[in-house]
Amino acid sequence: MELPPHVVNYLQNEFLSRTRPFCFLIDENFRLIDSWGDSDWCGLGRLEPAADMREKVPFLVGIPVVEAQTFEFLEMPARVVVNVHMVPEDGQCYVVLLDAKQDHAATQSRQQSVNELRLLHASQRKLIGRQRELISELVETRSELDHHRREAERISENKSRFIAMMSHEFRTPLASIINYADFAAEAETSSNDVQKSIETISRSARHLTSLVEAVLDDASLEAGQLKLLEKDFDFVSLLNDMAAMMAPLAAEKGLSFATYVDPDVPRVIHADEVRLRQILINLLGNAVKFTLDGGVELLATYNDGRLVVTVTDTGPGISADDQEKVFQAFERGSGEGATGAGLGLTITLRLVELMHGEVSLDSTPGEGCTVSVHVPVMASTDPATSGAQILPTPSDDTIASKALSVLVCDDDEDMIALIEHYLHRSGYGLITSSSSSEAIDKTLKYDPDLVLMDCNIPGVGGVAAAKVLREHGYTNPIVALTASKLNDEQKLAFTRFFRKPAQMQELLTEIRRLTH
Amino acid sequence: MTHVTSKVCVVGDFAVGKTSVTERFVNNHFSGKYLSTVGVKIDTREIEFPALDVTHKLVIWDVAGSDEFGPTEFAYLRGANGYVYVADGTRPATLAAIEHLHSQITGQYGPAPFVLMVNKRDLSDEWSVSDEYYDAITKAYGNVYKTSAKTGDDVGEALTRLAEMIIDRELRGA
Repeated sequence: MELPPHVVNYLQNEFLSRTRPFCFLIDENFRLIDSWGDSDWCGLGRLEPAADMREKVPFLVGIPVVEAQTFEFLEMPARVVVNVHMVPEDGQCYVVLLDAKQDHAATQSRQQSVNELRLLHASQRKLIGRQRELISELVETRSELDHHRREAERISENKSRFIAMMSHEFRTPLASIINYADFAAEAETSSNDVQKSIETISRSARHLTSLVEAVLDDASLEAGQLKLLEKDFDFVSLLNDMAAMMAPLAAEKGLSFATYVDPDVPRVIHADEVRLRQILINLLGNAVKFTLDGGVELLATYNDGRLVVTVTDTGPGISADDQEKVFQAFERGSGEGATGAGLGLTITLRLVELMHGEVSLDSTPGEGCTVSVHVPVMASTDPATSGAQILPTPSDDTIASKALSVLVCDDDEDMIALIEHYLHRSGYGLITSSSSSEAIDKTLKYDPDLVLMDCNIPGVGGVAAAKVLREHGYTNPIVALTASKLNDEQKLAFTRFFRKPAQMQELLTEIRRLTH
Repeated sequence: MTHVTSKVCVVGDFAVGKTSVTERFVNNHFSGKYLSTVGVKIDTREIEFPALDVTHKLVIWDVAGSDEFGPTEFAYLRGANGYVYVADGTRPATLAAIEHLHSQITGQYGPAPFVLMVNKRDLSDEWSVSDEYYDAITKAYGNVYKTSAKTGDDVGEALTRLAEMIIDRELRGA
């Protein structure tokens, strides 16, 4: 079909009005030969004949004029967008500029959306990549933490084994030294020099024992092994014990010693008596040790379920720098009289924290020191449940029924000899054994009135032996005397539990009580 | 005084800052708004080299961004005396695109002087080109610049260097 002339005419007019063609003819040196159309819309203005058109339309620079070429969407310096058609003929070239503003704007809008979307995707990919890196780092960090945790657990287990082993290895020889020193001190034939030497040995051994206790306590606390054993006990009685213990020491140094108990303080409280006693001994012991003039006071108050014990002294005080250090292990401050392992306050702090309490320290150098312990404790309304044990004072430790017998089981010959001495002197008949199997056999055979059992002995061990005896119907008391640390379940196998080095007098008193 | 006029094409992936470095070089202006280029933008600027007694007019073709050239783009590049490759330092993929474009252009039109701008150095927090990679491309290409169209850092230096290389090549046959 051939388009009717008026349609062709219409299309031509439409094209011309939309593209506003401007055409110029140049020679091979880009000189203007002639031009057609309106040049104003494309910013070229008036064109001089023979002008170098590369000056007017710089896109011609570098373009060969002998080939037909098309450039789409070419934005000229005048910010006019044109489509360029170059049509060569006989060494000359027609250059046609068509207005492309409308098409360019539409295309630019589409391209803008596409590019922004691509940028968004690129940004998302980058974020996803970073997220993967972070996840990878997290996994790696978690793996490292697991490794460190396992390593810490392994070290903790080793430490626990070390504590248990050292506890036994230290206590056994120390028990022998202390008890034999006490034994030797009782001998009437010793000269004064020998007596003094024995006293020195005994004092040194007890000091060494206290240091070992402190180190092992600290290690147990740090390893999280120490558990509180809470029960009802007479707190006022504990304070009286403290006063009875510390007042003579203070008096020896010419210091006053006073204890004040607020009326609100309950007589019977529910707490770990042994550890609370340890805390008070540490605080009062330090106060007495470091104070040279004046005195030491203890004040106990109770409010809203919190027991506050404050120890105040008139000693040299603690400098601000040292106040930060004194609670750190093996830090003894820089003051005079700083002896010991430097663990007292460390253990105190850890014990109080174990009780969910706090310790505060207030001191000005030269003006004394005040240490307060705040611990949450429950008051018991039933004094009958008090765990405070008031042991009868032995009036005559030689009085005992000669008909009574004790079986002693210990693989340490020195310890057996020592116990034998004390029990014989108290009138007990003695049956000895050095292994658990021997102890079981002899107990079942002779039915002693009491069994005194070491735990770390050859055979099945003291705990298992005690259980066997119970299973075979042995009902008399079985007392543990051991350097090993027993857990609560193991302690149930025994009537009583004594830790080496034990005070022989206390042990004898308990044996007498249990056998009468 | 010798007058030289050269055609220089600015090429690279989309949104790497080709129009911005051109605008900074020609008009010493920067707009933070991203406006994608369609087709090609023509601009000019003269640089004087008093020591050489040369005035060099650069006709700059700012070509629409692409990581792959076709017939339309190659038509724009025809007769170019030198190239400005532009990559985005926060998008390492745009440097890989330059390697490909350089290979395409060299294959189509043969070797020509060029400089490489690793642009957007002002975005230091998002910078993703390692020093090792930068050293490697510098060793491979030479005349690599860390530029910022925003601050103008090294934009003029890179284009002046390109203009020098073109003079060396066109006038001295170096």
